Amino acid sequence: MNRTQRILLYVLILVAGASWIALSADTGASATTAGPAPQAGFRAPDFTLKTPSGASYTLAELQGQAVLINVWATWCPPCRSEMPAIQKMYEEYKDDGFIVLAVNSTVQDNPFDIPPFVEEFNLTFPILLDETGEVARAYQVRSLPSSYFINRQGIITEVVIGGPMSEALLRTRIEEALK
Amino acid sequence: MLVLFQNLFAPPRHLILLVIAAWLGLTLAERRAESHGIQKDDLNTLAFYGLIAFVVGGRISYILQNISAFAKSPLGIVSINPDLFDPFGGLAVASIAAFVYGQRKGLPFWNALDSLTPFFAVLAVGLVLSHLAAGTAFGMETDLPWGIYLWNAARHPTQIYEVLASLLTLSLILLVKPNTRPGVLFLSFAALTASCQIIIQAFRGDSAFILDGVRQGQVIAWVALAVSFVMLEARLSSKKQREQAS
Repeated sequence: MNRTQRILLYVLILVAGASWIALSADTGASATTAGPAPQAGFRAPDFTLKTPSGASYTLAELQGQAVLINVWATWCPPCRSEMPAIQKMYEEYKDDGFIVLAVNSTVQDNPFDIPPFVEEFNLTFPILLDETGEVARAYQVRSLPSSYFINRQGIITEVVIGGPMSEALLRTRIEEALK
Repeated sequence: MLVLFQNLFAPPRHLILLVIAAWLGLTLAERRAESHGIQKDDLNTLAFYGLIAFVVGGRISYILQNISAFAKSPLGIVSINPDLFDPFGGLAVASIAAFVYGQRKGLPFWNALDSLTPFFAVLAVGLVLSHLAAGTAFGMETDLPWGIYLWNAARHPTQIYEVLASLLTLSLILLVKPNTRPGVLFLSFAALTASCQIIIQAFRGDSAFILDGVRQGQVIAWVALAVSFVMLEARLSSKKQREQAS
């Protein structure tokens, strides 16, 4: 193939590429228009859970606030390790409209271990009991801890699987969700 | 099969796929390095410095982009969280480090890139497999019979398209015989990868859009393709000129 033929081939490929880009342009493909799913860019699946004292929290009612859903269990070492940092960030950002929903995966935990755990770490944010595994299923939780950062519009901005999350990681993700 | 794979390599285990791919890719590149005029030891050292620079550079870039958060939590600088990382910043720093090392060792630039091409190609396979495991880089909703159920909808299996495209690219790269035109292998790999991205990005459901629904990823890939063609032609022409001169 000589130089002219090669250049012609390059131009043809580039024109075909540009045409394909124009043809496949689609403003309606944004993930946020789709139904809820536990993935960044999607609406966070809604749920209603109760605290050990019987108070009820519904995620949809928290729209307008940035939310961290942290799925945890008392026996999970990284869950224990990251709780002090989560508590610290909650205290620092709660006045800016940030809330933590600490969803205990009660189906795989001992409910009697929860109060001493909360006391040990002086946790002041809502502890919710996922007694039926409803939230674990809706959020397709495969590892503990699993954390979902949700912005004021109810869209998941970041998913962090595993832990422990450091203060710096929490700060960057919370500030992003608060924007 | 797909569910088994996704369960086996569910995040954060999907990162194992990248580590395996990096190891396999480096082994393959090492075997072919000498045919490109690069010593195995030089290639290994180049990859070592590149990897260190990638890790350090990715963290530094992330810190610089989130400086206020790290000012309040300085211990986070040395945190082991892999999420505190900017892969593009890491890639830029790794490229600079590898370039500086190559210049200091007197390694021919294009030969070094050619010898690293199998590494890049295998790493690309690992990257798209990690997307498949994590469910990231997902496709648009579709009614097509080969759609996969992901994130509560039947979607284009864009991760599988990418796996097939990256395997095809790797196969083509391996079929190319080492020749006397340094740079052609790497630039062909770059052109093939960019072409695949232009096609596959059209089916992605997580695209960032620019003007009138045009996908940013496709535009970047198109520019990369154009640059690859210009450089490829420059390499082929310079070789031809040398042959004519001799």
